Amino acid sequence: MSTAPPLPQNISASTVANTTSLLRILALGLISAAAIASRLFAVINFESIIHEFDPWFNYRATRVLAAKGFYEFWNWFDPTAWYPLGRVVGGTVYPGLMATSGVIYNFLHYFNLPVDIRNVCVLLAPGFSALTAWATYMFTKEMKDPSAGLLAAAFIGIVPGYISRSVAGSYDNEAIAIFLLMFTFYLWIAALKQGSALFGTLAAVFYFYMVAAWGGYAFITNMIPIHALVLLLMGRYSGRLYVAYCSWYAIGTLSSMQVPFVGFQPVRTSEHMGALGVFGLLQIVAFATLVRSHVSSKQFQNLTAISVVSLGLLGALAFIVMTYKGWIAPWTGRFYSLWDTGYAKKYIPIIASVSEHQPTAWPSFFMDLQFLIFLFPAGVVMCFRDLRDEHVFVIIYALVASYFAGVMVRLMLTLTPVVCVSAAVALSSLLDTYVDVKEPSLPDATEADKKPASSGAVGSHAGTSAAAVASSTISDIFNAAKSTKTSKPKGIWGTDARIVILLNAIGMLVFFVFHCTWVTSSAYSSPSVVLASQNPDGSQHIIDDYREAYYWLRMNTPQDAVVMSWWDYGYQIAGMADRGTLVDNNTWNNTHIATVGKAMSSTEEVAYPILRKHDVDYVLVIFGGLLGYSGDDINKFLWMVRIAQGVWPDEIQEPNYFTPQGEYRVDDRASDSMKNSLMYKMSYYRFSELYGGGNALDRVRNQHIPKVGPTLDYLEEAFTTENWIVRIYKVRKEDPLGRDLKTANAFAQGKKRKRGRVGSRRRAIV
Amino acid sequence: MPPKATPARATSSSSSSSASALMALFKAYTDNTSDRLKFIDAFLVFLMVSGIIQFVYCVLVTNFPFNAFLAGFTSTVGQFVLAASLRLQVNPENKLDFKQVSPERAFADFVLGSIVLHFFVYNFLG
Amino acid sequence: MKLAALFPLFAIPFAFAASKEDKQKLSSLAASGNGVIRLDAPTFDILTSSSRDWSASIHFTALDKRRRCAPCKEFDPSWNAIAKAWTTVPAEQRDSHFFATLDFDEAPIVFQKLNLASAPVVWVYGPTEGSRATGKNSPSKYDFSNGFEAEPLAQHLSNHTPIPIPYRAPIDWARWITIVSGLLVFALTLRFVAPVLQSRWTWAIITICTSLTMTGGFMFTRIRGSPYTGSDGSWIAGGYQNQYGQEVQVVALIYGTLAFSVVMLTMIVPYQSSPTRQRLQIYLWSGVLMLVYSVLVTLFRVKNRGYPFKLLL
Repeated sequence: MSTAPPLPQNISASTVANTTSLLRILALGLISAAAIASRLFAVINFESIIHEFDPWFNYRATRVLAAKGFYEFWNWFDPTAWYPLGRVVGGTVYPGLMATSGVIYNFLHYFNLPVDIRNVCVLLAPGFSALTAWATYMFTKEMKDPSAGLLAAAFIGIVPGYISRSVAGSYDNEAIAIFLLMFTFYLWIAALKQGSALFGTLAAVFYFYMVAAWGGYAFITNMIPIHALVLLLMGRYSGRLYVAYCSWYAIGTLSSMQVPFVGFQPVRTSEHMGALGVFGLLQIVAFATLVRSHVSSKQFQNLTAISVVSLGLLGALAFIVMTYKGWIAPWTGRFYSLWDTGYAKKYIPIIASVSEHQPTAWPSFFMDLQFLIFLFPAGVVMCFRDLRDEHVFVIIYALVASYFAGVMVRLMLTLTPVVCVSAAVALSSLLDTYVDVKEPSLPDATEADKKPASSGAVGSHAGTSAAAVASSTISDIFNAAKSTKTSKPKGIWGTDARIVILLNAIGMLVFFVFHCTWVTSSAYSSPSVVLASQNPDGSQHIIDDYREAYYWLRMNTPQDAVVMSWWDYGYQIAGMADRGTLVDNNTWNNTHIATVGKAMSSTEEVAYPILRKHDVDYVLVIFGGLLGYSGDDINKFLWMVRIAQGVWPDEIQEPNYFTPQGEYRVDDRASDSMKNSLMYKMSYYRFSELYGGGNALDRVRNQHIPKVGPTLDYLEEAFTTENWIVRIYKVRKEDPLGRDLKTANAFAQGKKRKRGRVGSRRRAIV
Repeated sequence: MPPKATPARATSSSSSSSASALMALFKAYTDNTSDRLKFIDAFLVFLMVSGIIQFVYCVLVTNFPFNAFLAGFTSTVGQFVLAASLRLQVNPENKLDFKQVSPERAFADFVLGSIVLHFFVYNFLG
Repeated sequence: MKLAALFPLFAIPFAFAASKEDKQKLSSLAASGNGVIRLDAPTFDILTSSSRDWSASIHFTALDKRRRCAPCKEFDPSWNAIAKAWTTVPAEQRDSHFFATLDFDEAPIVFQKLNLASAPVVWVYGPTEGSRATGKNSPSKYDFSNGFEAEPLAQHLSNHTPIPIPYRAPIDWARWITIVSGLLVFALTLRFVAPVLQSRWTWAIITICTSLTMTGGFMFTRIRGSPYTGSDGSWIAGGYQNQYGQEVQVVALIYGTLAFSVVMLTMIVPYQSSPTRQRLQIYLWSGVLMLVYSVLVTLFRVKNRGYPFKLLL
């Protein structure tokens, strides 16, 4: 066969093999370096700091682990969180992340490398992203070949969908969970391909690690059984499937129950019943196959077929009955809301209010995945073409993940690996076809005449060339689909065709790199604890209000002070200010959160007893009106009202906070409930003083606040940060003279006491 | 590879012919199976009986402590599954299915899997 | 002591009698209106008089065509269904809670008095006397955040009624009949349909179409109830986290075209018999790829105004 560009002839096969593996190792090394480097924007722009909200809790837990050891961490009861309830941290946390950091920290300290625990935590995610790239390489290698694997590793190394949750500083469960996800899937596929119990056991061990690391392990718990079930339905039962699945399920389920937070859920809840069902089904099918191999009698074979089907139906019925009677818990709200999308808003408003749980619009898909999103269907088509057992897995994963990613923004993370794999398969097939230098031989003239008459007749006419191409395209598709092993040639003629495609592909890849870098640096590298904006002259202006406030709390309040704020900031307050909080991001107690919501949305008179009952010393609110920071508490206020309304529907009604026309206003047209609510008062207290008595403008809502601002009787302002983003108020204790606080405040402001009943001057001696 | 399931047809087998079919099955089994596989099968039967006894105890008497029951029951189920996998891999009829797993490797996998399984069982027994 | 001062004392039994009379009047109105009292201004005053031992849920609406209140029309059937369900309750409980509808055109004064500017509005007046008295004279409002369905309304109002409202959602016969007939048709045609179902390309088409629809943002439009096009006729929504129904189709089509070009280039083009045809196809599909990709990037720039890159367009 001739080759398009001429190749050197005298290279031995072993040299090629060695060079290939060297290039592969080099490529993987460079991919790891790129993956780690692109996640360091935040560290370089700002500093090595833990980002967002949830990571602060993980960091605090890891500090306890590093300082006091594993036993203390495992049995840690935190009395400062969820005051006065406290939180059993050891039993309500996924310890995988903290344990990993602890091991790395101890390992480094064993070799006398004094790395601070904070740096271990901050840089853990980039480190594991390099491992994820390697795991994806291994996974895609099983699908197609190592070159596709390298492409997949490169894609997942820099794709923004994964970077968003694994930048340096994002010390959250997903940092290690995605690596474990891909590696467990790789081990499962390897177990299935080889039929080896070793890989099945390894898959179970890494599944255990995944269960210890992330609540999203339920995805693996259901993906692998669905794969096994589809293979069974396709008639592809084999001994390898039995060995792989059963060894994974038995060891994996037992090991997953070792994590205290998971406990007995794998045998009691609906999310895990699918795996158990497929396990039982596989036993039945294996036994039937065994029996069938011994007996040739057709009658007996029919009997076995009937008994298999009826046993399967009986098993399914048993599950339904047990679920109905309550022995098996139904799907928890978190997972059920993925199926019934209106469920969370009605019944669990806390889940519905999280911004990560909103549905995804198409720009998010393009932003996070760019050209991978349209290579992805092409890759799925190629999987359908080959359709080995492992390709069925990718197809199922693709279908399920695209649905979930459409329902919830946060689950874009689970779609990203399969998109990378699939797109890598597609691009790799494309490149294989056009890089392959072998040119096919020209067919004889008789074959060319056998082409369908329609395309031949119309083909030469320039005006109808488009129609010709269309009809020839359709005939080509049918021909290619029908016959794969005919005498038709396979290959590409000509160097120019190759160069066009290769340039195109390289161009798209370069564009991808630019896009990823831009998205990472602009959108996903913000610590959100520290904000940045631009001065008029273009230089960067850092807004460090959060840390200013937390540091003030840390330095100026007693150690046992309790701070009330909305649950978003609980972990940060605990982590940076080291003070007790009423509610935090764990959101496990809806009534407690509703209590805080009620206090925030009621008048001072109603809120004050709540504050005193919970020993609250300080109240913290976030206010963005001065800067135009739209993530403030007034924007979140309606969610506070809704959650409080869920528990006290008589006292708090959402329509009361809107104007009679149904608008949400904060200016002089605001409703009375709104104006008198504690949140409104705390946000706008003395705000108009900034404008020198003129009309204060709330830059977020774009409304003018009335000149006479709210008065606070039961709280006093303790601290307001430089840009008024964080405002801290101290709860006033009883008046030393025994007056009620309203009167005391009025006196302090110089107002005359109203004629009327005088409050008793003597306090009863208790 | 076993063929797809044949469509179920109503069997007109009387009890005697099904009994004779069972006898035929048993005879075919004893004649055609090697001693190695029969040894594994005996172990499988023992595990199944042991698991059934534990389950019956749990249902009839008490399921406290639940983790101990789960540990014991899962150890029988897990060991059963590992032994059944070993049987599949060692059976010379299935050689085409398991190209990369020789019988010796199968045994080594079995041992490793059992060690890991019992490590978790021991941890969970409490 | 003047005798005249004792007159209010004599009025008390009349007051009781009056409220008993009112209650009977209201129950008969409710019974004649299929569970719903149609209010006018005087009846409204009776219903919400300051001494009442009954509770009332009042629905303010504007059903006249001239008012053009589409939500009112949407909500009305749910309201009537709930009221009808309430009529099945035993008489003692039933007559201690009333359902009433006040249409704007029948009593605009009431709307004015209560400062109502929008419709529909549901207010619940609790009893001021009797065992269920809440001590509050002002009504509590129902918010329509769960839509105009009857179920959430029944659930909310059951907090204010003596016993929960026995509302059962009507069986959706249309849905059940469709499901059953669909299954029957499927079972009957199974023999003919089986080869199609067993072919891998059927499943390929289903999978690809589903994932294209999902990645086009279909679930967003379904959950948020986005309209097909914007109110000003535009087919593309301006914001980044916002989209219309038509965008789903356009974006899915774009992705499908791009994927199709890649598939053509990889799977079909290498099997061409003549070099010229092959070259033509290569250039064609590469061109399609670059062009449609540029269109996609342009669309993305409309959505995300800060995007600094662009391709050909």
